[in-house]
Amino acid sequence: MNSTSPRRTVPMTVLGVVILAFMLFPVYWMVNVSLQGGGMAASSDIFPFNPDFSGYEKALSQQTGNLLTSILVSLGTVVLTLAIAAPAAYALAQFRLPGKGVFQFALLIAQMIPGIVIANSLYTMFNELGLLNSIPGLILADATHAIPFAILIMQAFMISLPPSLVEAARVDGAGHFRAFWSIVLPVSRNSLITAALFSFLFAWSDFIFALTLTSSDVVKPITLGIYDYLEGNVQSWAPVLATAVISSLPAIVLLVVAQKYIAAGALGGAVKS
Amino acid sequence: MNRNAAKRSTLITTGALASLSLALLTGCSAGGASSSSEDGDITLTLTDTLSETSAPVYQEVYDACAAEVGVTVEATHVAGSALIAKVLQQASSRTLPDVLMLDNPDVQQIAASGALSPLSDYGITGEGFPQGIIDAGSYEGDLYGIAPVVNSLGLIYNVDALAEAGVEVPETWDELRAAAAALTTDGRYGLALSAANSFEGTWQFLPFMWSNGGNEDDLTSPEVAEALAFLNDMVQDGSVSSSVVGWSQNDVNDQFIAGNAAMMVNGPWNLPKLTAAEGLNFDVVQIPVPTAGDTSIAPLGGETFTVPQTGDEAKMQAAGEFVKCLTEDEHQITMANGRGAVPAGESAGETIAADNALLAPFVGIVADARARTAILGEEWPEAATQIYTAEQLALTGRATPAEAFEQAAG
Amino acid sequence: MSTVLEARTGSPVRASRPRPRGGVRRETFAQWLFLAPAIVYVVVFFGYPVVKNLVMSFQEYTTKTFFTGEAPWVGLANYVEVVQSTFFGITVGNTLMFTLGSIVGQFVIGLLFALFFRKRFPLSGMLRSLLLLPWLLPVIASTSVWKWILDQDGGVLNQALGLVGIGPVPWLTSPDVALIAVVLVNVWLGIPFNVALLYGGLQNIPDELYEAGALDGATGWKAFWHITWPSLRPVVTVTLVLGVIYTLKVLDIILGLTGGGPANSTQTLATDSYFRSFREFDFGAGAAVSNILILFSLVFAVIYLRVNRKQVDE
Repeated sequence: MNSTSPRRTVPMTVLGVVILAFMLFPVYWMVNVSLQGGGMAASSDIFPFNPDFSGYEKALSQQTGNLLTSILVSLGTVVLTLAIAAPAAYALAQFRLPGKGVFQFALLIAQMIPGIVIANSLYTMFNELGLLNSIPGLILADATHAIPFAILIMQAFMISLPPSLVEAARVDGAGHFRAFWSIVLPVSRNSLITAALFSFLFAWSDFIFALTLTSSDVVKPITLGIYDYLEGNVQSWAPVLATAVISSLPAIVLLVVAQKYIAAGALGGAVKS
Repeated sequence: MNRNAAKRSTLITTGALASLSLALLTGCSAGGASSSSEDGDITLTLTDTLSETSAPVYQEVYDACAAEVGVTVEATHVAGSALIAKVLQQASSRTLPDVLMLDNPDVQQIAASGALSPLSDYGITGEGFPQGIIDAGSYEGDLYGIAPVVNSLGLIYNVDALAEAGVEVPETWDELRAAAAALTTDGRYGLALSAANSFEGTWQFLPFMWSNGGNEDDLTSPEVAEALAFLNDMVQDGSVSSSVVGWSQNDVNDQFIAGNAAMMVNGPWNLPKLTAAEGLNFDVVQIPVPTAGDTSIAPLGGETFTVPQTGDEAKMQAAGEFVKCLTEDEHQITMANGRGAVPAGESAGETIAADNALLAPFVGIVADARARTAILGEEWPEAATQIYTAEQLALTGRATPAEAFEQAAG
Repeated sequence: MSTVLEARTGSPVRASRPRPRGGVRRETFAQWLFLAPAIVYVVVFFGYPVVKNLVMSFQEYTTKTFFTGEAPWVGLANYVEVVQSTFFGITVGNTLMFTLGSIVGQFVIGLLFALFFRKRFPLSGMLRSLLLLPWLLPVIASTSVWKWILDQDGGVLNQALGLVGIGPVPWLTSPDVALIAVVLVNVWLGIPFNVALLYGGLQNIPDELYEAGALDGATGWKAFWHITWPSLRPVVTVTLVLGVIYTLKVLDIILGLTGGGPANSTQTLATDSYFRSFREFDFGAGAAVSNILILFSLVFAVIYLRVNRKQVDE
């Protein structure tokens, strides 16, 4: 399946580029319109012959705070998600605990709940606890997107861990947690990173919690920041799309960095080594 | 197997109990978060739905009135579509802002819930304001919201296009249909309007419905069906694009500016963008009526300012004074000119009509405009949904105009 | 209740297990500590909303309720109203078709892409990463762009189709086509997620299996059917089940493209719930619809997992 004969690879690259061209055309269009300052998105040129960066100027001057908020919230979500999901995944995969199946099913059901239902309930709760308009609040809320999925992904991997791996450490007197920290986590690195990546992306693209749980400009993720330009008349689409393009950059950077680990596959790694 | 099943049911029961107790705990919301304000150092929170372009215009006025009343005002902007959800959440947690901007059709809903305070408490009576505006902001006889500037709908047309085609500005439905047909050429439709499946579509249907004598409390009457049939006829003629079922008013404006439509039904908030468009020569008249001599009745738009019940007497009083200041003539004129709107007060309206030739027709239109909630009050959203649903059914050919309203009611 | 997954783990035989310090009780307690944070989180952040939503669906919950706290109990009235409404059948039908179309499209294309990019060729790594771009963009921006692309008169797609002689398609304005258009955009948005998961799964299949298979003459399609597909089974299950669950919930994509129209042709249970709650302010009915939605998800998950387990057991 892995043919590496030189004659076949170049046409593959060409095909790959063509596929990507089709898939990414809307993204191209987004960048295209963002560089054409005029308001008329419906009648934009097919190529920005006279690139106009005013949209980007506006976006950068007004949205960098929001960008930072998004980054903080997303990274925080990753940390929280891994902290909660990794031990849980390990427990579900390796321990015999009563009611495991129920909990697994509950995780599945949890993902069926429309975001808006959760957001409305969280508002009341957060208001009592003073968590509105706060980054920790958003982190807690965004984790609802991520935790069930992360547990699922990591559990699927950890199931394939040979128990002998951990038993060896336990025989030497290590407690559960030590064994988990020193042995299981390093071996699960790929699945951890995959879960981290998905968590980051889920939190990064969250809109519903950003909208519901904030009411000021102080803590405003960029998915909400983009709406600054969309209400009322959209005088010009350039700032809107410029913000969209800018907001995808941190995620792209992360993706490129992490893709090396994803390439190894979340569910593989330990089995081969 | 039985042991596990028993354990499982215990787990479920415990879980349910835990959730329920949590729900009960947080459900009992704590009493109002009344913040004691120090004398002479009052900061009012204000929530409005202004976009990034309109906000600076209003900020000027906010600052001026804040100075006049002697308070500090912190303004927050919320997307219009998300405002009601936000207001409801804040109402339930007793964290409403001191001054709240509400779109006029929503005032009665929110007032009915008890969340707003009557403006008469602050000496605001609405004197000098047209009846339609008073109606929109009133609930059970009390005034709860007052709009400093309002808007409506008119027929905006491309002067050059009409002159070129030798078409006179239409005043009746027959003339409008003929003009639209005559103006439809390759690559350009005669008329554009919004028939989207949102309250915007409903909003744009109202002038036709009301001018023909139809009312929102009897949507299955023949007058209403006739109005829908009129629009449908123009779509069938090919003078109105069938894409209107997906166009917002913004899209309609874009189409008009791009030259894809010779006339459009739209409002004064587009004036800044229209005047900025190079080479566009346009003018405004009232929307044509069914037969010559009828009154053209357009819907009344515009955001009101309200003073929610926050439990803090001092702040509410200050907020009331602030809102009163916002409605002063000079501020009305600032907002109207900056945004493309019509001052609500009659005297300010006259001033603007004299100064601004493009706003002048709208001043006249607003004088006869009707509030959407005048007849149905809190029941308006349901009727509004039926209207745009029926319009969609008819214009996509899914039902005849008469059937459409029957189906939509179901 | 032993699951298939547990059977594959092969838990250690008691005899060789080290004596836990502090006894079995302490050991179990320590094990529960691993799971405890997750349980607490799920109960608080999911349990509470579910219960609240369920209760709300049996109440008359309007704007008044938010201020006064009164929500009279109406039993099944909301559900009856919803199910008897003229458009309920259409809404359910749209939901099913939207989900089916999206899943088939996303999964098949995602799998093809994953298989394609599995082969090593110049730039494959970078191209594979770029493929995830649709996932990274704010949905509102993506839907806005797609609206322009799908515009009947000036949109790029119709212009391209025009070049091969296909007349302008009213993608978003004709009730006949709108659902297809919305599915198309949702597929575009969903491909990266599927590719990411499936690619990971493909990476997990050892090359030795293919080499061994090749010796037996299994290449190309045979290799896929006899080696790739069975090995991919668990990942496929996860991808499909999650795909359906997530797709049923989709809201902002449809709102951005068509708002449920034209003429309810793209109205799904998710959008219907939203409109009932936040346009008509009938939160009880909105909650009822969202519970029906969750029920659909549940039924699908249960059926699929049962069928899958049977097949794996065979």
